[in-house]
Amino acid sequence: MRILLYFLPKLIFASITMLGVSALVFLALRMIPGGYADVLLGPFVTPEAREAIAVRYGLDQPLLVQYLNWLGALFQGDMGVSMVTRAPVLDEFLRRAPVTLELALLALAFALAGGLPLGILAGIAPPGHRGGILARLVGALGASVPDFVLGSLLIFVFSVWSLWLRVGGYVSPIEDPVGNLRTMLLPALTLSLFGIALVLRTTRDAVLRVMTEGYITTALARGERPFDIIRLHVLRNSAIPIITVVTTYFGFLLGGAVVVEVLFSIPGIGFFIFSGLENRDYAIVQAGVLIAAAVFISINMLADLAYALIDPRVGSGRH
Amino acid sequence: MNNIVSCEDLVITYQSSNGPVRALDGVDLTIAEGETLAIVGESGSGKSTLGMAMGRLLPSEAGREAGRLEVDGMPVFDMARDDLRRLRRDTLGFVFQNPMVALDPTMRIGRQMQRAMGRRARAEDIHALLERGELDDPERVANSFPHQLSGGMAQRVVVAMAIARSPRLLIADEPTASLDASIQDKVIGTLCRLRKESGASLVILSHDVHMIARHADRVAVMYGGRIVEQGTTARVLGAPVHPYTRALLKAAAGHEKPGEWLTPIPGTPPLLTGRCAACSFEPRCSVSRDICRSSRPKPRTVEEREVLCLLAGSEAERKEVAQ
Repeated sequence: MRILLYFLPKLIFASITMLGVSALVFLALRMIPGGYADVLLGPFVTPEAREAIAVRYGLDQPLLVQYLNWLGALFQGDMGVSMVTRAPVLDEFLRRAPVTLELALLALAFALAGGLPLGILAGIAPPGHRGGILARLVGALGASVPDFVLGSLLIFVFSVWSLWLRVGGYVSPIEDPVGNLRTMLLPALTLSLFGIALVLRTTRDAVLRVMTEGYITTALARGERPFDIIRLHVLRNSAIPIITVVTTYFGFLLGGAVVVEVLFSIPGIGFFIFSGLENRDYAIVQAGVLIAAAVFISINMLADLAYALIDPRVGSGRH
Repeated sequence: MNNIVSCEDLVITYQSSNGPVRALDGVDLTIAEGETLAIVGESGSGKSTLGMAMGRLLPSEAGREAGRLEVDGMPVFDMARDDLRRLRRDTLGFVFQNPMVALDPTMRIGRQMQRAMGRRARAEDIHALLERGELDDPERVANSFPHQLSGGMAQRVVVAMAIARSPRLLIADEPTASLDASIQDKVIGTLCRLRKESGASLVILSHDVHMIARHADRVAVMYGGRIVEQGTTARVLGAPVHPYTRALLKAAAGHEKPGEWLTPIPGTPPLLTGRCAACSFEPRCSVSRDICRSSRPKPRTVEEREVLCLLAGSEAERKEVAQ
């Protein structure tokens, strides 16, 4: 009951957000110069040809009518048809989703495996401790090196010395699991560096804050082992900010890592939206952004659920 | 009688960004087995530092500069980490000021009690201990999270946790300061009853002199990181000798008659950066003489208590009392 009451307003707000996103992406797309006609027919397109294409895709109608048509179709589960491939957009997305999901999960795993232990270490290490300095270095580096720089660097290094890994391309994990891993490790690593730094810094700050709490002194006073104090008190109490950034990061990854997918030629959602944008293939970009927003909001709702499960005070009206 | 705590010339300094701050400026103190000692003083007098030092629970920026502190014969500041952990677990019991801060908000009371009692504690044992802490409906309490309890109930939980392993020394730092006035007496009563049952020693750190007068065998008054007067409660609070103790009693609310004024102590306690070469109370003292500015008082026995005042028992001091 507590959880339900806590969620109802969040659901209402989520619906409003989705509606806003749909309007924004619809308008924004039509505000960028050029259209599918220019892409298809080149710079010397005649007005008649342009007109024909506009009529064919309903682009001659008023914007509001176009928007409402699109929304109406959406509610019936129809996301439209790609102008380029003529295939239903939803099918195209579903085909690419597993690729992006795999990349996102790998990057998330790296971010957690690197960021959590280093963050805890940095949070509990006494000043001047070697682990703390290493953690700070990784945190600063990860937050300041952009993914296209790291990606280009990795592509350069591993193109010269393959070292078992492969640069670029994509192999289905069902057909060739090892080959898939060989191609996915580098992009996942590139994507995860920012995540490592993000998780590390958040964890460190959360742990530092929790370490000054009274119940840590209480635990010390009753003679608990340091390991038990971290396991029982520090992790749980610092979990909420960590979950917040991890879910935001995961949502961001699922929305398609455009730069990394393009850089490593990985046929995921990010790459697809990117090419849709290049071709002014409205249906693809609109659906892509909407899907990304829906995924992002759902994941944040899951995080809210996690807060309520972790902290008994959340949603009970007493803070 | 053996001493559970013996402390000699203990100096503790905090490293702050503005340089060192000396919280304890040479404390000499012994606590006998089974006695209840109250340490009184304003905030900043060093009483919390002294209490936390007994379990070496000081923050990392605090360090012992000089002196010796033994608890149950163990040198607290020169112990291996595991021995210190065992000392905290088996010999010491702490009750902190604010139970809502001292309890983990994300863990049920029962589980936190179990951590204090040891792995083998069963639900019945936890309920029995909560009952000893005078909590009705122990089952419900054990199943609750801290925010679902009242402040008084939560403090009883903290008291029960402190006695979980029958400690030899209980240290209560302002145990009732965060509670409603109506339940302060009851909670301190529970604490004292449990102490009596177990025969442990109890140290109460407080600024509430009236509460102390009722419960403590002995009183130590702290000022400027030193114990300026200590002796039996009746002697120290009944006929104070140190000007600071007298000022503290005059400033304390509780027993004034209608129309009577409380007299605040002017000024603030000193912030020492090094060893105080004079009497640290001199700037706020109403009877100070030149000598108080130039020499550091040594402990003397005056009227059956130990006092750190150059004038105590002298003619000038008697006159002030007479006023």
